[in-house]
Amino acid sequence: MYKSSQLSRSPASQRLYALMLKAYPAQFRREYGPHMAQLFRDCGRAAESHQSPFGLVRFWLIIMLDLVNTAPKEHLDNLRKESSVMNNLRRDALALFGCIAIIVVALLLLNYGRAHQVSSILLLGYALDAIAVTGAIGNFIVFLLVKTTKLNPLRAALWTFLIVHAVPVITLAVIGGSIDPQFRLGAVVMGYVVSFVFWYGLHWMWALTKGNRLAGEGGQ
Amino acid sequence: MDFLPLTPAMFHILLALADRERHGYHIMQEVEERTEGSVRLGPGTLYGSIKRMLSDGLVEESGERPDPEMDDERRRYYRLTDFGYRVATAEAERLARLVKSARSKKLLSRV
Repeated sequence: MYKSSQLSRSPASQRLYALMLKAYPAQFRREYGPHMAQLFRDCGRAAESHQSPFGLVRFWLIIMLDLVNTAPKEHLDNLRKESSVMNNLRRDALALFGCIAIIVVALLLLNYGRAHQVSSILLLGYALDAIAVTGAIGNFIVFLLVKTTKLNPLRAALWTFLIVHAVPVITLAVIGGSIDPQFRLGAVVMGYVVSFVFWYGLHWMWALTKGNRLAGEGGQ
Repeated sequence: MDFLPLTPAMFHILLALADRERHGYHIMQEVEERTEGSVRLGPGTLYGSIKRMLSDGLVEESGERPDPEMDDERRRYYRLTDFGYRVATAEAERLARLVKSARSKKLLSRV
């Protein structure tokens, strides 16, 4: 005859539960495994205090049903998270491809505008060029700043884009004329102003939408 | 609100934390006592729900230990956030409206 009070506190039953915990995803197990094992011990102690073998059977039944019910749910949750990471990667790759496409179009427009002396096309080329270059560099810096610091994302975007736009404009103003005889400072400045308004406007709208969404969730 | 309806386990956990912070076993005991033994949360259900509620901002870990001398340091205490409190209230109101509808259809007697 076994002593019922030994069934859920014995090292064997704890080892068995530790083995059952392996049914959960590793990350979940690392975070909550020790607490679940503690709960198992606490509940086992309570079941034993009833001094009834049925109490203990019920306890194990609850533990088994709980495992069967929740372990697949946690795995599904993990899969969903991984798929959301893949979606983010896909979106980032698309954004990068978009930037490259804009740079190519900008260079084609600049060449065409210069060859045919069409100032409106040249201006569009300068704006697209600025949007693509500052977008690739600026968004990368903002992404790093937001991920690694606790800076306000909109403020980080404002200062990053100001610097990312100001540096090439100043550099081009100083050396542009000596590199390219056809260099037009006015058009370049206009292009960078359009680009700044475009990128900062996008971040501002994004922050506004996000703020509204959070306020909606919190206020409802 | 995107969170509603809450799962029964999540609502029971929010109810258990409505009056004070508790650790996992306390939550489980409170739910069992309040429902007179009809609801028993297993370890996976309890911590799976807590994981989701932490990531949704409904509950948070509490650094304080209500009774440090009587307690194991490894236990984690949880408490409701303001947002969690609002979600629990909204769910309670939603359920109250359902009960009212059931009463109007004479599915429930007026007690």
